[in-house]
Order: sequence, then structure tokens, then C-alpha cells
Amino acid sequence: MRRTYTEGMLYMGPAVLLSLAILALPLGYVLYTSLFDPHFTLQAYTDLLSSKLFERSLLTTIEVSVTAAVVSLLLGYPVALHLARQPPRKRALYMILVLLPFWTSVLVKSYAFTVILGRDGLINSMLSMIVGQKIVLPMIFNRFGVIVGMTNYLVPFVVMPLLAGLLAIDPALRRAAEIMGAKPARIFFSITLPLSVPGIVAAFSTTTVMSLGFFVIPALLGGPHDMMMANLVDFFTRQTLDWHAASAIGMILLVIVVVISFAATRVRRIAA
Amino acid sequence: MRRSNTDPLARRYRFAGTGAALLVYAFLLLPSLLVIPISFGSADQIQFPPPVWSTRLYAELFGSPSWMQALRQSVIVAVATTLLSLLVSVPAAYGMVRLTFPGKQAIIALLMAPVAIPVIVTALGLYLYFSLFGLTGSTFGLVLAHTVYVSPFVMITIAAGVRKLDPTLEFAATMMGASRRTLLRRVLLPQLAPSMFAGGMFALLLSFDEVVLAWFLTGPNTATLPVKMYSSIQWEISPVIAAVSTLLTALSLIVCCIAAACQRTEGIEARR
Repeated sequence: MRRTYTEGMLYMGPAVLLSLAILALPLGYVLYTSLFDPHFTLQAYTDLLSSKLFERSLLTTIEVSVTAAVVSLLLGYPVALHLARQPPRKRALYMILVLLPFWTSVLVKSYAFTVILGRDGLINSMLSMIVGQKIVLPMIFNRFGVIVGMTNYLVPFVVMPLLAGLLAIDPALRRAAEIMGAKPARIFFSITLPLSVPGIVAAFSTTTVMSLGFFVIPALLGGPHDMMMANLVDFFTRQTLDWHAASAIGMILLVIVVVISFAATRVRRIAA
Repeated sequence: MRRSNTDPLARRYRFAGTGAALLVYAFLLLPSLLVIPISFGSADQIQFPPPVWSTRLYAELFGSPSWMQALRQSVIVAVATTLLSLLVSVPAAYGMVRLTFPGKQAIIALLMAPVAIPVIVTALGLYLYFSLFGLTGSTFGLVLAHTVYVSPFVMITIAAGVRKLDPTLEFAATMMGASRRTLLRRVLLPQLAPSMFAGGMFALLLSFDEVVLAWFLTGPNTATLPVKMYSSIQWEISPVIAAVSTLLTALSLIVCCIAAACQRTEGIEARR
């Protein structure tokens, strides 16, 4: 046992040291900054809890995250179904259509959406051409723009766990239902959908947790009312230089993310 | 399968499902692909489709010292991050798969933590923590931050490669008197080369595209390409961004094909 322990440290030691120095210590320092000024105080937290700005951004964060996760699920499900139906070779080809956006920079997407959704953007100018007069639908620098951008980012993260879940369903179940005369809708609602619930739970929790920390999309596609917690951290760090407030928001965000992740793991274990 | 194809109702559902899936594929791909025609348009205004085709935006991009400086910085950071993360991740991934010792699960949790923790919190922590050592704004600091950020993905990729290795080869080499170094150089590394290549490509792209850590940790002289893109989308939407985006999309496409190729070989092995 002793030998494997030294050997373990030999192999994993460098990575562990790096993680401790560049991840654990900085996070500890955030906690410290949120609590000491210069003596122990909960001031930063109590100030936040009574601040309208923080309350609004907390609400926005939760609303946007849940909405984006739900919309991504609704869009990702047909894609996962479609992929699951393909023979393996064709599936690999269609997967590229999901993998390319997955690997595309969030900045490229945000920039493209400013062109698509903007005042004189693609959609507005196309609508204007069809109708024959100038149309300016407000689709950017508001909640709509944020949800469109985030959904576009999240769908690939929904498709992968859903696809894994759908592929795990025994095809014999569907065939049996079909032979016994079940209609396609019945097969979907009483076999495919219930058996894909673990995948849905996994996809929903991952995307919600990911969205909670979003920074770039709300900053570039949202308006002043769509500031999420990550944007508030940036605001306090770089605009007002209030590092205690920034650290307290960071800790609150971290706690929310960790609690939801643990809860989701529990739910998944119960569901499985 | 054939049965359901002859059922008109099933066919109609399938048709609708495929239609919905194709619409979502289009939504996913649109932003990544739209930047390509825009980048070959005119430099004065963003228009789609461009009235005149030209490569003026690329000339402007490659002729701009500030964009070139940011590009150079990104390449330096991404290459350094890739090398450093391979250096710590290859042995760690090997240890993760091959060794058992007390506390291993906790160590794996620590090494994988960067995936679960919102990047904004890590970025804030490093921003405050690096300022203690004067590392804020330095290239070295950003490389350390990026290494911790990309390493979980590199480790997962390489650990999958280690799992496919035949342990009897290592046993045989040791039996025949190979030293640890010979074992590594002649047996392990050659077999792991493909997964190291894939992991390295992921590290390169993740670092090259990363914006939040870089936004917090770089100064005016060390800003990377994503940081420059982020601020120019925020302040003045210059059409040059379309040219930058096209280059980033091309890079994503390359990495995505490599990822697809890796999956394909895994699929072949699974079928055997």
C-alpha cells in the first residue's frame, strides 16, 4: 500500500500541486476576502442581501438559467431523437452538425447574433423586405437576445446526455409495443419519453448549472436589466473596485452551483 | 423498421421529427457559418449577403499591429498551456487509471473541480490572488490559469487512451528488465501518442478561445485575441471581427474533425 501511495504521488503529484496552488488557494482567498475587512465581518453579505441590484441580478440569473435550460431541452430533444434513429455511420456525420457549434467560440456566436438579431440585422432587414416597410423588432440587448444566445450555446450539451439515454433504450421494447398495435404517439409517450427521464434530468441540471455562471453572452447580447451574477462580479471587481462585494457574490454563486449539482446527482441516483 | 415505414401515421411523425431536427441543426450552425460570408464583404458596413466580395477585412486584420499583437499573445498562451497541461496530465491520467491508493477519489475530485466551478469565480480568485505576487497581467499567470482550466479535459481524453492499453505489455516490459524510463519511452508514450495528440488539440482550442480568465488576468499589453474581440464587440462592432471569427471557426472545424475521428476509432474498437 505504501509503495502505491508514493507512486500515486509521483504520477499525480504535479497535477495536484498545480490544482492546489492555482485553484484551491485562490478560491480560499475569495472566501477570505468576502469575510475579512480587515477583521472578521459579515458586512459584505448583509450589504448584498439588502441591495436591490443584487436581488435583481440573483432573480435574473435564476430566471434566465431555468428558461435557457428548458428551451435548450425542447430544441435538443428532437435532435437527440433524430440522431438516435440514424445508423451509426450516418449518426457520426450528423454529430458533426452538433460538434461544430460545440467547439465554436462563444465570442464568434455572440458576434454572429449581433449581426442576425440587431436593429438592422439579418432578420429585421429580411422582414422589412418581405413587408415592404421598415421593421425594427427589438431582439438584442434584451432578455430575448440572451435566451437565444444561451440556447444556441447549450443545445449541444443537452443533445449528448439525451442521446446516450435514448441509445440505451432496448429497441425490443419499441418493437414489442408496435407488434401489439401501439400507435407511434403511444410508443413515444409510454416508452421512449419515460425511459429517457434520466437523460433529461442530467441534461437539465448540467445546463442550468452551466448557465448560472454565464458571463459573455449576457454582457454582449443582454441589456442593462439582464445583468447576471457573473456580470455583477465583473462590475464590482473592475468598475467599483469593491472586492469584498465581488467575493461575496462569487461565494454565493459557488454555493448555489455546488448545492444544485449535488441535488441533481442525488435525483439522478434515485431516478436510476 | 420496415413495418413502421409502411405505416402512414408513423411516417408522418418521423417526417415532422426530422423536420424539427433539421431546423435545430440550422439554428446551431447558422452563427458559426454566417461569419464566413460576412468576412469576405466590404469593410465599411456589415451586410449579408455582401454586395461586393473582397478580402479587404483580412488585409485590415493582418495589417493591424494591435490585432496581430493579440493573435501572437493567444498563440503563445495556447501553446504554452498545451505543453504544460500535457506535462502534468499524462502522468496524472495514467495514475488515475492504473493505481489505487487511499484518497485517490478525493484527488480526482480536486483535479476535475475546474469543470464544475463557475469560471467567473476562479477568475476573480486568481485576479485577487495573483495580485499578491504581482502576477496579474502577466503571460505566465494566464498560462497557469489556463493549464488548470484545460487539464480536466486533457486528463479525461488521455485516461480513455490509457484504459485501452494492454497492461500485460507493461508487465512484460518490466519483467524483462525495462527501467521505468524505458517503459515510459518505449512502451507507454508511443501507444498513448494518439490520445495525447487529441488531448493536446483540445487544450490548444480551449485556451485559444477562453475569454473570462483572460479578461480578468491580462493587462493592456498581454490581452489575448478573445479579450480584444470581447471588448471590440462590446464597444464598436468592427467588421474585422468577422474575419477573426472566420479564422476561429476554421480552427474549431479542424478540432471538431479530430474529435469526430477519435470517436470513430473508439466506435470501431467497441464493435470488435
